[in-house]
This record gives sequence, C-alpha cells and structure tokens, in this order.
Amino acid sequence: MRRILIVEDSPTMRALLTSALEELGTPVKITEAESGFEALRLLPRESFDLIVTDINMPDINGLELVSFVKSNAAYRSIPLVIVSTERSERDRDKGLGLGADAYLVKPFEPETLRQVAEDLLAASREG
Amino acid sequence: MRGPHAERAPGWESLARAALRPRRVAEDPGVLRRLLAFELEGAPYAVPVERVREIVRLRPITPIPRTPPDVRGVISLRGEIVLVIDARQRLQLPQAPPTRSSRIIVVQNDEGRVAGLLVDGVNAVLRVAEDAFRLTPPGEPGAVAALCRCGDRFVSVLDLERMLDVDPDV
Amino acid sequence: MARRRSRSGRTSKTEQEFVSEAEEIIERMRGGLADLEDQRAANDEVDPEVVNRLFRSAHSLKALAGLFGLDPIRHLAHQLEEILDALRLGRVSLESPAISLIAEAVRVFATLLEAVGDAEAIEVAAAPVAGLSEQIEAAVRAARSGPEVVEALDVDPEVLRTLTEYEEHRLQESLRHGRHIVLVDATFEIDSFEAGLTALSAAVRSQGELISTLPAPDDGSDSRIRFSLLSASSLAADALAGRIDVPGASVRSAMRRAAPRAPAAATPVEGADGLPSLQSISETVRVDIRKLDELMNLVGELVIQRGALGDLITTLQSHHATAWIANDFTRVHKELNRKLKDLQTAVIDVRMVPLHQIFEKVSRVVRGLRRELGKDVRLEVRGADTELDKLLVEELVDPLMHVVRNALDHAIEAPAERVARGKPPQGRIGIDAFQRGNHVVIAVSDDGTGIDTQGLRARAEARGLVAADETLSERDVLELIFAPGISTRLGVTDTSGRGVGMDVVRTNLTALGGVVDVKSTPGSGTTISMTLPITLAIVQSLIVCVDEQRFAIPLGSVLETLLVEPREIQRSRDRELLDLRGEALPLRRLSAEFGLGTPPPEAKLFAVVVGIGDLHMGLLVDRLEGQQDTVIKPIQGPIAAIRGIAGATEIGDREPVLVLDVAALVEDPQRRREAPCP
Repeated sequence: MRRILIVEDSPTMRALLTSALEELGTPVKITEAESGFEALRLLPRESFDLIVTDINMPDINGLELVSFVKSNAAYRSIPLVIVSTERSERDRDKGLGLGADAYLVKPFEPETLRQVAEDLLAASREG
Repeated sequence: MRGPHAERAPGWESLARAALRPRRVAEDPGVLRRLLAFELEGAPYAVPVERVREIVRLRPITPIPRTPPDVRGVISLRGEIVLVIDARQRLQLPQAPPTRSSRIIVVQNDEGRVAGLLVDGVNAVLRVAEDAFRLTPPGEPGAVAALCRCGDRFVSVLDLERMLDVDPDV
Repeated sequence: MARRRSRSGRTSKTEQEFVSEAEEIIERMRGGLADLEDQRAANDEVDPEVVNRLFRSAHSLKALAGLFGLDPIRHLAHQLEEILDALRLGRVSLESPAISLIAEAVRVFATLLEAVGDAEAIEVAAAPVAGLSEQIEAAVRAARSGPEVVEALDVDPEVLRTLTEYEEHRLQESLRHGRHIVLVDATFEIDSFEAGLTALSAAVRSQGELISTLPAPDDGSDSRIRFSLLSASSLAADALAGRIDVPGASVRSAMRRAAPRAPAAATPVEGADGLPSLQSISETVRVDIRKLDELMNLVGELVIQRGALGDLITTLQSHHATAWIANDFTRVHKELNRKLKDLQTAVIDVRMVPLHQIFEKVSRVVRGLRRELGKDVRLEVRGADTELDKLLVEELVDPLMHVVRNALDHAIEAPAERVARGKPPQGRIGIDAFQRGNHVVIAVSDDGTGIDTQGLRARAEARGLVAADETLSERDVLELIFAPGISTRLGVTDTSGRGVGMDVVRTNLTALGGVVDVKSTPGSGTTISMTLPITLAIVQSLIVCVDEQRFAIPLGSVLETLLVEPREIQRSRDRELLDLRGEALPLRRLSAEFGLGTPPPEAKLFAVVVGIGDLHMGLLVDRLEGQQDTVIKPIQGPIAAIRGIAGATEIGDREPVLVLDVAALVEDPQRRREAPCP
C-alpha cells in the first residue's frame, strides 16, 4: 500500500486528482489536504510515498511547500509533483530548482499523471 | 457540453463522471414522479409538482380586453401581476362560476415564466411510478400529455407548455 | 422575478458538482469586484490582495472549465486571468476599462453557468464571449509594458527562491515605495500552529503588507515548525519588533545590504507623481440595474401601502366616533406623502443616465460607415446630457442606430450629387435630444434627399395598403413608412439591414411607451422624432371607469379632461369628433375599443384628452375616479403584448388595474392600415 498526499484547494480538482491516482497499478491510500497548512499538519502524521501539490493556494504557495519538504530531513526523500495551470516559466524553474520531481502543467491527461506517479513511486521503492 | 470539445481531455471528463457520481446520494431518477392533482368538472387532472410555484385562493381577477376567452385576467401576487388562464375554458369543458374551493395554481416554466391556472379545487400530491403512465389515447384534448393510473382512476396529466400556450390572435 | 432555472434532468451530477464549485468561485469574484469598486468609490488605495484573489478565482475557473471541456468559460476565464494578472502585476491600471470588463465577464460567466448542460443555451450564452474576450485582450495589449523585474532586488536570495512571480512583483512594488522588507519569524507546535500563525499574520498585516508565508523545519524538534513571514512595512525591523506583540516572534531585515531602496533604474513604471497604479479614481459606484429595479419595486409597494392608508383614513373620517383620530392621521399621512415623494424622486434620479453614452456609440458607427460608403457627413449632436431611464437608454440603441444608418445610407447623397443639387458637398446628420414635460424627444435630422412620397405611395399601392383612388394627405403618405413591409430603402445594402424597416422602429418604441414621427421635405431632408417617457417607473395616473372596470391612464400623456354631453359629439364618416376650441379632436370610445358595455345613449361622458408627440385624441370613458400614484408592472404570463395595455398596477386593494398604453391607442388608426400577411 503506497500513501499519496494530494494538496489542492479546489474540491473538484481534488476529487479528479484522487480518482486519477486511485487507478494506479499498485494499491494506494490517498489523503487529501485542502490547503498548504493542512498539508503541513498532515506530513508528520503519516509516512507518505508521494506528494502531489497545486501551486496556487491561498495560505502558502506550492513552492513554499516544496521548499519545506525538501529542506526537511524527515521528508526530503518523498517524491513530489507540482500540478499547475501556471505557465510561468520562472515558477516552473523555481519548483524544480527547489527539488520538485515533476512539474505538470494542466490540462494534462490523467494518464500522464499516473505515469509520472508510477515512475516516482517505483524509484522511491528502489531507493 | 460534449460534442466537439470532448476530445480535449477525454480522460478527465470520463474520470470526472466516474469519480463524482458516488459522492451524491442516489435519487433513483425517473422511478417515482410527483404530481399535483386537482379537480375539473369532477374529473382528476394533474401537473408535475416541480412546475408548481404556489397554490393561492381565489382573489379578484381583472379581465383583460382583447384577449382570448381562455384568458381569465390578471391577479396581483405579492406585487407581481400574473396572467390567469381558465383551465375549464382551455380544455373545452363546460363553464361554471368559481366556488369556494376554486384555486389558482401558479406554475412556472423552464425559463421562469409564471402563469396562473384557475381550477375547481386542489386535491393532493400523488407519487406515481413511471410505469403507471399511459400514452394519451386519441381524442383527448391537446393539452393532456398522458393518462396515468392512480388506484382505480385515470388521472389526466397536463402538458403545461401546451396548456399555457395562449393563442395571441383574437 | 429572477428565478433559477431548474437543472434537474438536464445535467449530469458531475456537471452539477462543477457548477456548484464554479458558482462559488463566481460568488467570490462578485465579492472581490464589489470590494474593488468600494475601494475605488471611497478613494482608497486598491488592496492588491483583492486583485490577487480575483486572479486566483479566474485561474481556478479556467482550470475547472478546461477539465470539463467547457470552452466558452475556459476561453473567457483565460482572458480574465490575463487582465487580472496584468492588473496585479501593475501592467494595467484600474483607470482603464478593466473594472467594467471584469464585471461584464463575471456576468457572462453566470449566464454561461446557468446554461451548462444545455448545448443550445450554452451557444446563446456564449455569444458575447468572443467580443468580450477581444476587448479584454485589447485592453491588456494596450497596457504599458510591465516591469521586467527582479534581478536588482536587494533581498536575501534565500527568500526569493520560493516566491511566485506575483509575490516578487509585490516585493518590488514595496521596495519602490521605500518600504522596509522584513522577515518575522516564529516557531509553533506543528499540531496547533494555525491559531498562533493567524494571530501573527494579523499583527503583521496591521503594520504593512504580508507578502508571503514561508514554512521551514525547526532545527530543534520534529514536532515544531518555523514560519517566516515576509512583509513590507514603513517601519524598519527594529521599530516593527516593538509593534508586533506576539510572544516568541522575532523580526529581522530581509535585505541583503542595508540600503532599503532599489536602484533608480528599477523604477521606470510610475508617472512623475509616483502614484501606485492600483489607485482609485472615481467617486461613483456601479450598481446592477436589477438592484435599482428592486428598489423601485419597493418604493412602489410603499406607494401602494400609502394608498391603502389613505383609504383607511377616509373610513375613519366617515364615522363620527373616529373622526377626531382621522385628523391626526391625516397630518402624519401628509408628511409620509412628502417623504415618499422625495424618495421616489431620488430613486428615479438614480436610474437616469445621460444619453451621451449611446450618442458616442452612434458617432463611432457613423465614422465607420462614412468611410465604407464613401460619403462625407458631419454628425452634429446636441443635448447629449439629456437624461433618460437607464433601461430605456438601452432599448433605444437599436432604433436610434437604425434611423441614423438609414439617413446615412439612403438620405445623404454622394458629394458630387450634392454639389449638382446646389448643396454643400458635406452632408449633415443632426441628433437633437431634449426634455419635453415627462418625455424626452430625440430627433434625427438630415439634409439629404427627403422621402420620395410618390414612390412611397406607389409601393404602398403595389402592396395593397392603399387604394389607388384613396385621397391621402402628405402626412398620411409619410406615415406609410411605418407600415410593415414598406421600408425606406431604395436599394438593398448591408448598412440598414434587409427587411428591417421603420415599422420595427415604431414597434420597439411603442413597446417602451413612446412614439415616432416623421417630417420630410423632398430634396432638402427628413426628420425622425422619437418621443419616450423619461422613466418606466412610478407615474401619476388618472383612474377612469368604463363599464364598472377601472383603468389607469398615465398622467404624463393626459392634457385635460372634459365633460361631454352626447349631443356635442359630431360624426364625420366613421369617426367621432369633438369641437375643442375650434379644433377637431378625434374621439375614441374605450368601451368599443375594449368590447365593454356602453352606458345609456343619453348619459354624459368624460373625454380624457391625451397627446403624445403631435397626436391628440379624446378617450371617452364613463367616469373619472381621481389621480393615483401607480407603478406600472409587466403582466407575467404566456401572452405577448396586449395592444393598448401597457401593464397593470395595484391601487390600494389587491385588485390589479390595467394601465392604458396611450401611445398604442393614439396610433391605432395608422395600424389599421396594416399589410395583409404575405
């Protein structure tokens, strides 16, 4: 059972991301966070195998979440995907620079997300 | 909604449908229909409940010149001026003066247009299974959309669009 | 009357999920828009956070619509996002049409959402999307090019790493205004940080702008979390520390060096006055016309209640035992009357807008057409500050445009032709607006060919509208341009449209309670006058009685009332006339008009002399019942306009009284000459 944390403030988006990831080849348990703050609270409670986060959120932005995860010894190894409708090149560069493992620009196919997630989960298992 | 745009993100759309459906409590659409039953010339008629805005007692109706006889006139309903159609006239039933049990059923169509329907009296809300509906036999007046069996009686279910389609030419 | 269309059965549940989230987003946008307008009205500086929230809403809506394949919404949301992005990054200012474009987009979103699930309705609702998107795009394009940001910032590069583009922009703005950039640090238990963090954020906001909240692991413990709040403040770190009274919080400068100001090279954006671009410029508030309608209706209700109160007082007066109290009531009632009248006037006043908005629109069209048609025309507009009810102004656009296009297209000759006729080569079209009593007159005149009455008559004869031997006055012939199927067009062009003639103009104006008149001199020009009531709202009406049924006649069109003895009524062919101070006043019996019962032939009658424009007529009624304030309401129901009835009103009791459409009644004789159906 792999554990995935989805951080996204839009309920529809959250539901869609969840349903896309529920269809991975491996069994998954998905936890949804409605905000960056909620994600910060959830992180220490469970050991996640993958984080999928939006970039535009009202409390802290996705970049800040990446920075937090990647600068924290306890979470550093969790693979992290940023999903965004932002076409800002700079935000993308920053996200990857901060250590995000993938940056998907919406609209992308659910299959693309699944592919990326499966690759990252497989890599983290090996690592 | 679908059509030419469907190819944009087919994955998400089908996903959306699959994912979100179970989140709502299933309503069993189409199994039971609710009808407001009323009386005309001693016979039962009905209109779909979701189209009924309210039922009001008889109040002064101001006749309007230059309108067809089905148009009874206008009433004032909390500041709105609402046209009232005489259901008996519309269905070509014998005329009779309103009584104490007469009511005006205020109905509303898809676009939110309202109108009043003057009837002899309002009975009850019926819950009718879809399979109790029968097609209209030939010879029924145009505004009767279906007959539906309710206990030992057949209720005439009115087509409100046709019922409220007043002939503008007189 | 805004009632939601039932969606059940037409949309899937997924769509409903989408719709409800999208509705929330649109609601938030409305809130944000209202905030912006409030701030602008109050002359406050616009809160960048409000713009940012609007941006985020547009962004979310775009993403949602994209997933559901709702192209019109996605497309418009995209444009909206662009302009809001430009706005929040300071590339567009609120002085531009930005706010009204945003408001319009929000309105269109709402109608699009209403239509989700109904392919046809979506198509209808999507009609304005392309045009609006273009306007927004143009506004963004026209905007000055934005700051090409941020290398020069003196801020600690660690801080910059996690800022989004927008946050960087806020940072730069703050630096340009000489504010200090500080970091406020605090550490909280990870399970319960939100309360403490909220308090700290509030404290920071009270001293300046909170730009970003950066979480960081606490070095000491896994169960704790450290936050650094990046803020801009007029206070330096030391001074700020004293103001932020949150235990455990510390303040430090976020600058790389001590210099608080960015180099001058980084400040090309502002004008000399250095005003921030998001500043308010106007003291007006935009109000949804529907809100005004609601207000109007409420005033109308009050007026009705006041009428009921008057009836009660009359009852009190009629009984000896209560007459004394009636006097006190009368005094209060009078005062209430006065205030209510003030309120009515104020509310009506709010609805009034000057005509120059539509005149400008007409000018633009004329400029465009002039080039296209190769005609040299000068447009002279007078009385553009004449005011008219906002709703009427909107309804007036099409008829006015039609009349002006007609003049330009058909009446004004080509320059060479004009010279040959001894006219100056440049043609003239005049639009004159002025108030006449409770009406506004808009006259469109030209110095073109004039109407060819012989040709007009010939066409009317060909269509069977007029018999070849019928004697018609010049004026009667001119009136024929308003008959269906007779347009003034001499050739088909795209400009005036095909088959849409003056009859449509007349129909539209009549529906608004107005009239249209024509005067023309062959060879030297035509004048089309449109007369409209100033407002559709509360009007004083004369209550008359015919066959025991009451009718209201708006006082605005009543000239006088006369008591008529049956023997004074003269007959001329099939018409009844009255000698009114030497002039023949045509009469019309309302009882015959409306198929009501007639009084005995020897009974005295009353003539209500009505006039609209230049047309006068006496309406014969059984009895006069006095004057009343009336609110003319439309008749709800599946029936097209009823000729001669403008709507209904309530007077005191619950029984509606029909309001006569005087314009339609007065014009009826011409309408009798209607074309047989083709």
